[in-house]
Amino acid sequence: MSTAAPAPALQLVGIEKSFPGVKALQDVSITLGVGEVVGLIGENGAGKSTLMRILSGVYQPDAGNIRLHGEDTVLRNAQDAARRGIAMVFQEQSLLPNLTVGQNIYLGAEAQFSRMGIVQWSRLYAAAARQLAKVQVDVDPSTITGDLDFATRQMVELAKAMTLEEAGEGHLVILLDEPTSVLEQADIDILFARVRALKARASFVFVSHRLDEVLALSDRVYVMKDGGVVAELPAAEADTRQLHQLMVGRDRHSEYYREAQQRPFGEKVLLETRGLCAGAHYRDVDLTLHVGEVLGIAGVIGSGRESLCRTLFGFEQPTAGEILLDGAPARIAGPADAVAAGIGYVPRERRNEGLVLFLSVAANMTLASLRRVMRHGMIDHAAEARLAGEWVERLHIRTPSIRALCLNLSGGNQQKIVLAKWMNAHARIIILDHPTRGLDVGAKEEVYDLVRSMSAQGLGVLLIADTLEETIGLCHSIMVMRDGRVTRRFDAPSGAKPRQVDLVEHMV
Amino acid sequence: MNRDTLRQLMPIVTLVVLVVLVAAFQPSFVNPATLLGMASDTATLFVLGMGVTFVIMLGGIDLSIQSVASLASVAVALLITPLGYLAFPVAVLVGALAGLLSGIAHVQLKIPSFIATLAVGGVAAGVALLLADAQAITLGEVERGYVGWITGTSLGIPHEVLIALVVLALGTVVQHYTAFGRYSQAIGAGEPAAHAAGIRVGLHKTIACMLSGAAAGLAGAILAGRLASGSPTLADQLLLPAIAAVIVGGTAITGGVGSVWRTLVGALIITVVRSGMTFLNVDIFIQQSVFGAMLVIAVALTIDRSKIPIVK
Amino acid sequence: MAEAATIGDGRAAGWKKLRRRLAPWAPLLVLLALCIAIALVNGRFVSLRNFARIADAASIPLVLGLGVTFVILMGSIDLSMEGVVAFAAIILCLLVANGANANDFGLLGALAVLVIGAAMGFANGIVHVGLQIPSFMVTLGMWFVGIGIGNAILGGIQVRVNDPLIRALALEQFLGLKFQVWLALGALAVAWVVQEHTRLGRYIFAIGGGEDLARLSGIRTGLVRIATFTMAGVFYALAGIMAAAQQGSAFALIGGGRLFTAITAVVVGGTALWGGQGGVLNTLIGVLIVVVLANGMVLMGVSPYVQQIVQGLLIIAAVALSVDRMRAKLVK
Repeated sequence: MSTAAPAPALQLVGIEKSFPGVKALQDVSITLGVGEVVGLIGENGAGKSTLMRILSGVYQPDAGNIRLHGEDTVLRNAQDAARRGIAMVFQEQSLLPNLTVGQNIYLGAEAQFSRMGIVQWSRLYAAAARQLAKVQVDVDPSTITGDLDFATRQMVELAKAMTLEEAGEGHLVILLDEPTSVLEQADIDILFARVRALKARASFVFVSHRLDEVLALSDRVYVMKDGGVVAELPAAEADTRQLHQLMVGRDRHSEYYREAQQRPFGEKVLLETRGLCAGAHYRDVDLTLHVGEVLGIAGVIGSGRESLCRTLFGFEQPTAGEILLDGAPARIAGPADAVAAGIGYVPRERRNEGLVLFLSVAANMTLASLRRVMRHGMIDHAAEARLAGEWVERLHIRTPSIRALCLNLSGGNQQKIVLAKWMNAHARIIILDHPTRGLDVGAKEEVYDLVRSMSAQGLGVLLIADTLEETIGLCHSIMVMRDGRVTRRFDAPSGAKPRQVDLVEHMV
Repeated sequence: MNRDTLRQLMPIVTLVVLVVLVAAFQPSFVNPATLLGMASDTATLFVLGMGVTFVIMLGGIDLSIQSVASLASVAVALLITPLGYLAFPVAVLVGALAGLLSGIAHVQLKIPSFIATLAVGGVAAGVALLLADAQAITLGEVERGYVGWITGTSLGIPHEVLIALVVLALGTVVQHYTAFGRYSQAIGAGEPAAHAAGIRVGLHKTIACMLSGAAAGLAGAILAGRLASGSPTLADQLLLPAIAAVIVGGTAITGGVGSVWRTLVGALIITVVRSGMTFLNVDIFIQQSVFGAMLVIAVALTIDRSKIPIVK
Repeated sequence: MAEAATIGDGRAAGWKKLRRRLAPWAPLLVLLALCIAIALVNGRFVSLRNFARIADAASIPLVLGLGVTFVILMGSIDLSMEGVVAFAAIILCLLVANGANANDFGLLGALAVLVIGAAMGFANGIVHVGLQIPSFMVTLGMWFVGIGIGNAILGGIQVRVNDPLIRALALEQFLGLKFQVWLALGALAVAWVVQEHTRLGRYIFAIGGGEDLARLSGIRTGLVRIATFTMAGVFYALAGIMAAAQQGSAFALIGGGRLFTAITAVVVGGTALWGGQGGVLNTLIGVLIVVVLANGMVLMGVSPYVQQIVQGLLIIAAVALSVDRMRAKLVK
């Protein structure tokens, strides 16, 4: 029997997963050998997180098999996955800040340390200390978790994962989801050293946006794109340039993004930032947005671009630097100030921040500009209805009536209402945060048309797009951010657009 | 018929069914005199409930209303001699000030509304006890001359009913025709989106608290007139029925859904149930229990669970 | 919100750490400062008799506070205690030797009352969890259900307690302290063991710290919630027994004003309304602060009504100071 190769720790065969309107994963097959570290890379939306959620039991695949140590397995939920020795070390940590380290490590598993209903903390802490020793972290298990720094909490998270060794079937599969994105280099080195040391008792799937780290830690790398695996290669033979190329794949269609309608933008500066900083989110951002300009910000999660946009709309306050509107320094203390200054914001969380779902179409459209439909201090419902009717017609919004709740409309129609809200408020600057997220192809094209027409009307548009293609296709100028800093700026005039790979090089 | 229409119609249907039921057992229930009496009994409850409707629409709660109403009654009793009719607007102002205090504690200090208003209610009760020296202050013969606008009748209609109708009209206008009305609906239905649309959420929450306080002040003034006295415990049994009236009327405690009209229907339901129980010789003491149970059932039926991922 | 979780900004973390170190001691320091201030103004404060009086006055609020502490640690609230206290006191008076009927079940009656308290708490919990209704609404309903039923049973009268054992709680002393003080201290000990040494106690903290995470760790949060409300009900019923003993009788408004004092005490003691922070020892300190303050005001001749005003302001100040402004994004 000793001659047979050991079964892989984990094998995914032909995994498929769809969500309403989106095919998130198609025919994904991945193998993780015993004691191996496999890297998983891909652009935002390539399907990495969906895959991780399937592996940790949070989602169920629509088709395909999961094999653990050669046996077909169904992971019903997160606890089930944990019982079978699959642990996930999240980027957003799963530790409760108000409990001690030891209590967190054994949360939900205290029964083994209690006698007649009384938990014996000394035994639990001794066991927790053993788990901490496995990952070589020097923390007293009775420390309050919230008092630890981020890097140490990450190691505690790893120690918590190691408890599954005793609870379950021995060899573990540990999923590391962006564990390094907020760590300093020294801490990353420590984490990697621990992971390597643990390879004898566990296999790892390592998801990261930082390609050099993936290459440094992994034995093999899988590249994902549009819900599928497009390449699998040994880390030793790969370089970051090659990975960039694989991640971006096919090139854009100029037609799709209405490139022919792209006109040069104006001279007048609408919005400017000088040396803008926000704590650890981003640093020294200089940005200039002109009349009629569509300015794209490219970057991965953690690049600071979302935070930058939220600062410009007043959700967050900068820690240094200044914001200028029409050349004059402005203070944006909250969204109300931003709206008063003529800024509109189309958030990524459309159903949470974009629309009041339980309010009518008409009321949502006038929410940021109610004054326009008020006469003598009273809302003129007839005027509001007329205005809403005009927008419904102009933007081809499909809704049973302007009094219908936004709740029941499709994503595309909801997004058009959000845009109508800002155009109705005569916003001069529009911040678009993932404006096409979750929309079908037709709805996306309508949004692109709207972006073009806003630009033609002289509005300044700041765009965080879903994909690089979208960024390149729609924007006049592109600013690339990495780890909170602007790494490169591109001009993207019609007919002389930068390539995706040029952008990716400065993103990761 | 979808769930929302059902939710809208149910209170009215309940009211009609209740009236029919009680009338079937006790035909004298439906004569005009009884009904008018019931309407004037409802007035105070409705005024209190309408005020708190504004806060509940925003997803908050006001537990201070009974103490604020009692404080207002004390204010009326103490001020009517020196100030005459002016005592009544002062009482409303006192209520609004208490509401402002709740609003500041809730919005500026970020204290959950139920605890902020519980605390302000305690303060108001303490002030009332202090001012009245824990006594009921009975209005004298002269002072009673000032309460005719509350206790009298015009064209056979009790003035309390007329006051309630005026309040209803004001409440409707505020809710449907002012920016505050629209914004409070938006905030209750989706606070993050309202915030992101540039609405000054804190300001409108504070206004709602003040309206609730002012309404409680008016309710206290009406009670003072009606009972010809002011006392620090005058409105003590009214918190639960008032909140029950709002919720039974179909306003959801999750916010966003509701109106002053619904509160009117809810207040009438409460009154009908109360008089019905009296007619049917149900022990008067068990009525609180019935209202408590009605409250919980109504919440269960009107609450929108999709809006609260974790119910605490 | 992936980006929000950023590198622990060094200074902010240090400040947070310092605050976390100091915060647990703040209520105790307040209590000490209060005692010293009152003692300086009025020497009569420092006497064994006055301390015994304070202990006496603190015992019922402490037992109520212990019950509601667990609920607040989960981030919920329980407003039903006045109803449970009234109902429990009334049932107790009718079960033990009394002035209205011939019952004389003695201790068995007291035990039955604890079971009734548990049942009312259980009802709170099951409605809250089963129907997914926010706890403040459910318990607001139960508050009035309890008073209403109690009232209906009594028909508006008062019932005297004649049982010597029950009366002894408020009349007899042991080591200079009344029995009810010892009973309250016993309740404190039990509550402390539950909090520190049982899984229930740990899960209550876990739910308060982050309910979704607790659920992900396999904790059955619904069961924990129901158990916690049930346990709170038992504490309220015990307080009801003590209240009946102290008053020598039971009536529907026997619980009046106790909710306000208990919540003030819990909050002033440093248990956070958002859950996950604080505990029963905090509640002990909080109760002492409230009672000592009241005692001091009496000694100084301040109107008793001012006390209520001070309590209201205390709640606001204590909550405002404890608000973690980063966490409390959406306050309702």
